[in-house]
Amino acid sequence: MNAQQLHEEIKEANLSYMMLAKQMINDDKISAIFRLGISEEMADLLAGLTPAQLLKMAASNTLLCAFRFDERLLLNMVTDFNKDRMMSQAHATILMAGRPVEALAA
Amino acid sequence: MKNKSVVTEAREIQIAIDLIKLGARLQVLQEETQISRERLLKLYKEIKGESPSKGMLPYSTDWFMSWLPNIHSSLFMDIYKYLCKNTSVSGVEALIKSYSLYLEQIEISQGEPVLSVTRAWFLTRFFEANMLESTVCTECGGHFVTHADELTKNYVCGICRPPSRAGKTKKAALMDAIAA
Repeated sequence: MNAQQLHEEIKEANLSYMMLAKQMINDDKISAIFRLGISEEMADLLAGLTPAQLLKMAASNTLLCAFRFDERLLLNMVTDFNKDRMMSQAHATILMAGRPVEALAA
Repeated sequence: MKNKSVVTEAREIQIAIDLIKLGARLQVLQEETQISRERLLKLYKEIKGESPSKGMLPYSTDWFMSWLPNIHSSLFMDIYKYLCKNTSVSGVEALIKSYSLYLEQIEISQGEPVLSVTRAWFLTRFFEANMLESTVCTECGGHFVTHADELTKNYVCGICRPPSRAGKTKKAALMDAIAA
């Protein structure tokens, strides 16, 4: 993949991520805050972005979404692979719910 | 109807409808809304098409301590606390949202919802009354439901260290036999 292709892929991923997030917040803000792992302030900000702002943000050369697992969580999910699915997913959610949300800097 | 505001009444009826759909017992509805018992009964029959079940509510903190119920309750409670902490909802609305998210999670992972909404409601009450609390597992760092007076210095959760007979029910054995 050359730099140009990579840039296109990142832009596309950013755009779908931002649009999905915005849609989720508009449909059901409370659940979206849980699913996205962001603060309410951040959710309000995302929901208020205009399509033009969204496009500008998406057209960056870095990804706008980040991994939500820390090492321990990742390890747990991998080692739990043989256990039943309900258990490992429940475990992942329990660990994820205990983490602080992504918030805007004060 | 104790309060006269139509807006408040509409809101309370919506809360009652949501709770009934999630399977709440009549006593929970009576606690969480100001709607009269007769109207709640009528509403219940209209939505469920049957009379609400009678009898005592499952009033026990011990149920939350056995293996599978503990994992389900901890999952629900972690979602509930997350919503209370990070969003503007609280009380019964947080209960409805977090119970729906709990059900959704169990459904997508093809499990059986072990925790009923009535028990979930009790769980939040027990936390408010400081009868139950969350303890951090020393192995995974997740928060799990424990008795408030329990010794929890070296607590390890039921997922990191399941008891030897955990999940070995008659039903699980039957499912294995069918799969084999």
